[in-house]
Amino acid sequence: MEIIQKSAPHLRKPNANVVRMMRDVVIALLPLVALAIYNHGLTAVWIMLAAILSMVGTEYVYYQISDLVNKEKFKLKNKNFTLYNYSVMVSGVIYGLTIPDATPIMIVIIGGVIAVLLVKLVFGGMGQNIFNVAAFGRAFIALSFGAAVGVANFVDSEVGATVLGALSASPFADITVNYSLMDMFTGIGLPGTIGETSAMLILVGGIYLALRKSFDVFVPLVYVGTVFVLSLAVMVRMDLDWWYPLTHILSGGLLFGAIYMATDPITIPVTRPGRVYFAFGLGVITFVIRLFGQYPEGVVFAILIMNMFVPAIDYPQWARSKFSVRSAIIFTAVVLLTIMAIWVGVTYVG
Amino acid sequence: MIAKTKKISNYKQLKKELPTTRYVDPEYVYINMDTQRCKTCGLWVQEGDYVKLGQIIGEREGGFFKQPVYSTVSGHVEKTVRKLDSSGKEVEFIKIRNDFKDTYDESITDRPESVIAKMTKEEIVEIVKEKALIGLGGAAFPTYIKLDTKEDIHTVVINAVECEPYLSSDYRLIMDHPEQVFKGLQYLMQASGAKQGVVAVKKTKKELVEILEREVERFKDLNIKIAKLADFYPQGWEIETFKGATGIKVPIGELPMKYGILGFNVSTCQSVFEAVKHNLPVVKRYVTVNGDAVNFPQSIRTRVGAQVKDLIRLSDGYKEGIDKVEVIIGGPMMGTSVETDDVVVTPTTTSVLIFENIDYDEEPCVRCGSCIYSCPVDIQPVSIMNAVKRNDKKAIEALEAKKCIECGLCAYVCTSKIHVTDYVRKGKKLIG
Ligand code: SF4
Ligand code: SF4
Repeated sequence: MEIIQKSAPHLRKPNANVVRMMRDVVIALLPLVALAIYNHGLTAVWIMLAAILSMVGTEYVYYQISDLVNKEKFKLKNKNFTLYNYSVMVSGVIYGLTIPDATPIMIVIIGGVIAVLLVKLVFGGMGQNIFNVAAFGRAFIALSFGAAVGVANFVDSEVGATVLGALSASPFADITVNYSLMDMFTGIGLPGTIGETSAMLILVGGIYLALRKSFDVFVPLVYVGTVFVLSLAVMVRMDLDWWYPLTHILSGGLLFGAIYMATDPITIPVTRPGRVYFAFGLGVITFVIRLFGQYPEGVVFAILIMNMFVPAIDYPQWARSKFSVRSAIIFTAVVLLTIMAIWVGVTYVG
Repeated sequence: MIAKTKKISNYKQLKKELPTTRYVDPEYVYINMDTQRCKTCGLWVQEGDYVKLGQIIGEREGGFFKQPVYSTVSGHVEKTVRKLDSSGKEVEFIKIRNDFKDTYDESITDRPESVIAKMTKEEIVEIVKEKALIGLGGAAFPTYIKLDTKEDIHTVVINAVECEPYLSSDYRLIMDHPEQVFKGLQYLMQASGAKQGVVAVKKTKKELVEILEREVERFKDLNIKIAKLADFYPQGWEIETFKGATGIKVPIGELPMKYGILGFNVSTCQSVFEAVKHNLPVVKRYVTVNGDAVNFPQSIRTRVGAQVKDLIRLSDGYKEGIDKVEVIIGGPMMGTSVETDDVVVTPTTTSVLIFENIDYDEEPCVRCGSCIYSCPVDIQPVSIMNAVKRNDKKAIEALEAKKCIECGLCAYVCTSKIHVTDYVRKGKKLIG
């Protein structure tokens, strides 16, 4: 028997581990995958397979090669290779679910390979990436192949007009004439990306993750809350009805992005106040892109933009783990100013 | 996971209610000459000398105070040896062969209550100093210096929270000698002039609360309260205990005395009783022997100067079939792991834990933030870790690494099983 010397603490929390956290995300996404297949049949199967395999495969091949170059033996559990912990799998599933159903498989694969390679692997693997891998892949194929997908509408390049597309074309016309709020909630039979359309199933997954404490529930709450409050301001200003804020929340991947992409811990700030600022920023950017931009959908761009601000939010000189009175006051002021800006700005739309 | 953690899970399935045995008579005792706080020492006896229980055999010197060294048995002095003390440091020990007679030194005499009642602050402080009492919770800070404060004290808080999970030496002490704890508190209140005494315990320990409440009835004329605190970690950390017991928030880095509070560990409090009442130094104490790699976990009443390996032997030794163990002096979250069981029980040894060794696979940090959410002093362990890796002293400073109390929660909760606490310790050293 041998006595081992170690430093305190001598206990480690049993159910805290990366595999559990990432696996939980996959589990939470399964109903969405099922719905995608139910709605889109084989198309969805091929897209999902292409998205997952391109990402997982890229990581696998990359580490095979890098171990060969470094003359190390490839091990499933070597210190960089992170396939076993589901992290790349999570990216793959999320990426797949955000893809419009008319996208050619080749494009899906190219986007997946590029995203994992450029965003994750060259930065040094898991934990080092600045951008959300799935969001990057999605934005990449939208920008590079928008035309190839064959639909004039760049980002939401799917068959038929999406809810947000309709909203973008005529911003303040009641769209519930064409799409009922209930349809948006259940997401059955609605045009859109293959997996983002069912608010109901997205929420079920979110609740599961919240109960398992596998993500930070503050981020989606603040993100969706921000969009809600801003659209509420527009509703009051433009004399619209409740369908307006509800449509914003239920459509166009907001819930999906808020729950699955904006909570990827690796690419968001680490402190609670930092996460609140981050999520607020996401809400504002998303809403502004939807309202003023030419793209009807802003979620993935908002996430990528805010990803860039993470190092600044986490900067040691000012990042704090709790709100101070001062930071709370400043933040409240910023929130009020933003609402005012939207209040004034919305009159210039359309 | 990604949330504040306040409870330490008992996944090692440690027993909480332990039987107590007595092991007050080792054949040899080892008395340490140097301690964490006293680097030099004068020895007053020679090899072969006969010493009595409670006799002064030397004097330690700290930076600003002197401390007599007492024999904890009667018997013959043997050689001085070098051994590990409970903080894992190798220091000089004087070895005394026990003659099992417990012949007390002449100085060990009882004081009648009537005499004690008339004693002034100075007199009590003098006894506490004379008997070399120190913080027995582990801090080892000389008690008399605390007690001698010039500040106006309104409350004496006795910390019986037993901060770390799965220790029960303080529990045992109160169950066995509640009246001694209350007497000790009475003397401490008398010395400090405090109007109020508070004994802080975890409310989950029902038997303790019951016993203490009965004792409150007996000491009716003293203004003593029992504060029942919630069961979370690190509730026994002074600042949390004070907050729970008195409602006063002492800012980190400031002395609680400034806020009128004087805090003592319950063992320290009992040692004050022994010193004032019987004029005894600390000669015995309760040590918890627990863990998943020891056959018979128990609390042991033992002599200061006994050896840890004997306590383990008394607990039927290490479990068969486990090839790697950790031997920890102190609690599972903050205790020191030692490289051998040839360690001596000092007055501050609260417990010995024997854990089966588990090697954790570290993964890259996923920036989940659990360590930040759980840190009781609200600093950012993960950011400090990153700053340490970059060797960025400015950032470490800005992140207030020095506030860390080394509670170990950040490493405990880490999703990636990274030893974050070690990085924070390194950070503290870097900005030293
Ligand atoms: S060890 Fe230090 S940094 Fe880590 S949680 Fe405890 S106080 Fe915070
Ligand atoms: S150090 Fe551990 S607990 Fe802290 S953020 Fe990183 S993975 Fe999470």
